[in-house]
Amino acid sequence: MVELKNVEVHYGETGIDALNDVNIRINDGEFVFIVGDSGAGKSTMLKLLTNELSPTKGRVFVNGYNLSKLKKSKLPKFRRSIGMVFQDFRLIPDMTVFENVAFVLRATDKSKKVIRQRVPYVLNLVKLADRAKSYPSQLSGGERQRVGIARAFATDPGLIIADEPTGNIDPRLSYEIVELLLDINKCGATVIMVTHEHDLVQYFGGRIINLKGGRVVFDDYIGGRGTGEEV
Amino acid sequence: MRWSNFTYLVKKGVNSVWYNRMMSFASFCVLLVSLLMVGLAVLAAVNINVILSYVENQNEILVFAYGDLPDSDNNRITAELQGSRYVSPGGVVFKSKERAWEEYREQYPNAGSLYERMEHMDYNPMPNTFIVTINDLSGIKNAERTFREIDGVREVAAPHDFAEFLVKIRNTLTIIGGAVILALVIVCLVIIYNSSRASVFARRQEINIMKYVGATNAFVKFPFLIEGLFIGILAGVASWGLTTVAYNSIISMFGNDYMLWQVLGLGELIAFSDISWYVLAANCAAGSLLSATGTIMNMGKHLKV
Repeated sequence: MVELKNVEVHYGETGIDALNDVNIRINDGEFVFIVGDSGAGKSTMLKLLTNELSPTKGRVFVNGYNLSKLKKSKLPKFRRSIGMVFQDFRLIPDMTVFENVAFVLRATDKSKKVIRQRVPYVLNLVKLADRAKSYPSQLSGGERQRVGIARAFATDPGLIIADEPTGNIDPRLSYEIVELLLDINKCGATVIMVTHEHDLVQYFGGRIINLKGGRVVFDDYIGGRGTGEEV
Repeated sequence: MRWSNFTYLVKKGVNSVWYNRMMSFASFCVLLVSLLMVGLAVLAAVNINVILSYVENQNEILVFAYGDLPDSDNNRITAELQGSRYVSPGGVVFKSKERAWEEYREQYPNAGSLYERMEHMDYNPMPNTFIVTINDLSGIKNAERTFREIDGVREVAAPHDFAEFLVKIRNTLTIIGGAVILALVIVCLVIIYNSSRASVFARRQEINIMKYVGATNAFVKFPFLIEGLFIGILAGVASWGLTTVAYNSIISMFGNDYMLWQVLGLGELIAFSDISWYVLAANCAAGSLLSATGTIMNMGKHLKV
């Protein structure tokens, strides 16, 4: 469960109000699109959810952690409860696809046996089992993002946060990426996807949170063209 | 941490040296030059110190006793001199006036008739002498004053001027040598820190990813630490090899100049074979410590994600 209560973020040095009186609750198992133009506060919200940033006012709860009171020593444990998918993939270039995914399991001190079982499973899920020995530089943008999703899902986190996951790939492949995230959502993980691609949002529909000027201006469910419903 | 993950991280650290070979090579070169410069400077300072000690030890104070003192008094004076805080252990040698007279005659044999007449008169002009080696040349004046106060001592001859000259040289060289070594160490630390910073900056994204997936700071630092240690040890061994060549070349260069050898007491120079393992250990320890510390210090801000 993700909950933001009366959250405000002000950047002191610039005087910018990045978020203003934001109240959001996302239940376990939901798939939510967060949309908004540049400067709407999307990045700030993600930084709050990953505890990269603390709110100026209000409280943030993620996966049972009160991030306003999270001790530094607990940060790694909290981060293991979420999976991050980045716009620029952020794969480690000197590691193979297998190693990139296995790496998060090693970071969470999983045994060799678990790694040998889990990595092929998630690579199979993102349809990259045959590219396990390839390096990131040998993959297309879409494939790299699928590795990113496999890595985010490797530890079986309760929440996956995808920050513009389709921003750096061929628009044609964007739909595949969202489909993949939806598949993972069906496995039980909550998915929060930040995007500014309105076509995608309208195609898939679901719960949409629209930010503008640091405020939530829309938070509701819409039908999607891809699902046979009109917006 | 599981053993399998520990060995994985060690392997990753070592592999990273090759994967980031340009930055690794740059760090290696910086460390190599730094260790070589500081190492040679330290060895030079140590050797200069050894040479000065050798020269200082050649300086003795001569304490002359009254000629007609019985052996018991001579023994007492010897004991008092030996008990002085200015005297090196075993630094008192008694030379009887008879022995001194013999040596004098051997040294200046041309006045044979004069010596015969003096012997005929049973006259020995030489005093009983105590040859004293002091432990610190800077205390020569105090030592002289103390020795004069010993009952039965007639005269004390001490080479003040030369002693003061040597003390000045030692002090000056200590200050200059210390300043040069300190400056070299500071310069090397700055260069090593900057080269580590460039190396870490080039891999900031990797650190960033590790932190995002929930790796602890220790887990993130460990491969970098191994990498730093590995490069440091390599640079330490290489600088040890170069130091061996450079040091032995300098020693053999001086060794060919016999006059210089005699004057400066270069026979006292430290043979590299005597200190070879210490130099290797010091180089490897300093190299790995500097390299690993530089890397870890530079990782700090990238870990705040």
